[in-house]
Amino acid sequence: MMETVAANSAGVSSIWELRQIEARPKSRRRLAWERALTALPAAALVLVLLQYKLAPNFKTTSVYRTTDIYTWFISAALACALAYFAASLASRRVYERLTRSAPIYTAVALLFLGYDRLTLKSGVLPLPYFPWPDKVLSAMYEDRVMLLDCVKNSLVLLFSGYLTGAAAGLVTGITAGLNKTVLYWVSPLIKVLGPIPSTTWVPIVLILATSLFGGSVFLIALGVWYPVTMTSLNGIQNIRPANFEVARTMGAGRLRLIFKVAIPSAMPHIFQGLTQGMSMACAALMVAEMMGVESGLGWYINWQRGWAEFAKMYSAIIVICLTFTFVNAVLTQVKRRALRWQEGGAR
Amino acid sequence: MSSASVQAIGLTKVFAREDMNATLQALDNVSLTIQPGEFVAIVGTSGCGKSTLLRIIAGLEIPTRGEVLCGGERVTGTNPKRGLVFQEHNLYPWLTVRGNIEFALKAAKKFKGSAARVRKLLEIAGLEEFANSYPHQLSGGMRQRAALIRALAIAPDVLLLDEPLGALDSFTRMNLQDEIISLWRGRGSTMILITHDVDEAIYLSQRVLIMSPRPGRITAELPVPISYPRNRSSSDFVQLRNEILLRLNFAREDMEEFNL
Ligand SMILES: Nc1ncnc2c1ncn2[C@@H]1O[C@H](COP(=O)(O)OP(=O)(O)OP(=O)(O)O)[C@@H](O)[C@H]1O
Ligand SMILES: [Mg+2]
Repeated sequence: MMETVAANSAGVSSIWELRQIEARPKSRRRLAWERALTALPAAALVLVLLQYKLAPNFKTTSVYRTTDIYTWFISAALACALAYFAASLASRRVYERLTRSAPIYTAVALLFLGYDRLTLKSGVLPLPYFPWPDKVLSAMYEDRVMLLDCVKNSLVLLFSGYLTGAAAGLVTGITAGLNKTVLYWVSPLIKVLGPIPSTTWVPIVLILATSLFGGSVFLIALGVWYPVTMTSLNGIQNIRPANFEVARTMGAGRLRLIFKVAIPSAMPHIFQGLTQGMSMACAALMVAEMMGVESGLGWYINWQRGWAEFAKMYSAIIVICLTFTFVNAVLTQVKRRALRWQEGGAR
Repeated sequence: MSSASVQAIGLTKVFAREDMNATLQALDNVSLTIQPGEFVAIVGTSGCGKSTLLRIIAGLEIPTRGEVLCGGERVTGTNPKRGLVFQEHNLYPWLTVRGNIEFALKAAKKFKGSAARVRKLLEIAGLEEFANSYPHQLSGGMRQRAALIRALAIAPDVLLLDEPLGALDSFTRMNLQDEIISLWRGRGSTMILITHDVDEAIYLSQRVLIMSPRPGRITAELPVPISYPRNRSSSDFVQLRNEILLRLNFAREDMEEFNL
């Protein structure tokens, strides 16, 4: 985001300052509440730590033995919360941001507190189905090399499929949007294949594919192909004719019309498809890994299920969650950059 | 400096109205001859076929009957020699002002060594500071100016202007009218301006063509024998304005009689 603004006689030096000036004044009570809010995440984390270290465990058997990994984890979170709080005292801007995110952070900390209480401390939620946070973290730490390897394999498979499917979808959608003959032959295909979830093909693909990797790439790609095809076709068909006419009066050739007019015009639509496609790809990835592929996070979960290692399964789910969140954040950034020109920024 | 003559011979345009399974005749046997370097204005009521005529000259629309010659050559499609400024600005929203101009230059294969010209054009339009702004960050007038210099950037022999100042306030409008005159006199290209502002037609052009609606025809043609720069309140100016308004009114009464 552009933070500095051009010189102006109002003496406004940043967009943030401008927002401050235009914001509605807040009541005194509201201000006090906001101030208190910023300290809450750290306070909640202290509670988590105290309960973990001081409250007695449900049983003293070896199963209920705990490690320091959770202590370290919560301490690190606490350190971050305190640093954030300190920064919020120094900078008005950080303060504003913290008041907005503090309730969520606090809620998450309280969730940890409550879950710890229900599992490790009281046994209300029993083992082996409900391992407490320390157990999950320890499992994650113990298997870290393998988990990282799984992340790598999952990402390779995910992106092989996603990029293949997106490329195929773009080509199908754009050529069908630009060419009537292609549309004629492609639209029945889209209508028939489109509504079938790509995972329906799993059993067939597992039998027919010469390699499991290749088959899985195909499955993921198929799931991405449909939304990307639909949105890019739609995007091209909705372009105002004037966009092409302007370029034609300037002497633009066919390639320029396609790559410099049609595709940029359809970009907002296309990105909708690329985002939808990513959810499809993630779903198909998990199915592929749980059904056949012998690596990756989905496979890891299934494998640990065989050993009834619930802590390891949960740890893998957390890793999956982090991985997918990261992938989607990257995609959002790419979208932001590409659609920077849109009024009010990319949505 | 380059310019070309424009000749329309018996242009007739019938649109298919597929929704109603009907046809609509927008132009009826329109002929006109415009000398190289001449500035001609076309006035007429809304919907009388002005844009259609201009789009046929630009090569965007195929006439049902008749043909257009530009510089003696038959028009069969668009050509960067005939630039068109649309009624709406039609800037590309994903390109900055500079990007839009550069797009035109690249499309017309005139991009090499154009940096100085681009700077000059931005200066003329008063958009130097907004070269890197996106169209949605500009005011309506700024967008219109940007669209104008985008068409000028590729230095067309014939510049077709479809109510380029239609959406502007009268003050900005007058400023840009002076800009258009000085650009025309500097570059010497042939200009065809569509407007429904009679004053604008007289202020800018050497000849005013009057169109009547349904179907569109050219009903009158008046030379503007006033030297530039023109004074909007001079007696010749006022007299000419009255005459054109009278003829436009006639065109309207004709139609009313026809309808009754
Ligand atoms: N693509 C089209 N399909 C069907 N009818 C059309 C099409 N383009 C124009 N027309 C019709 O042709 C007639 C003339 O339209 P045109 O746009 O040339 O008018 P105009 O003189 O430019 O009007 P204005 O001053 O309002 O811009 C109108 O009745 C319009 O409905
Ligand atoms: Mg028009």
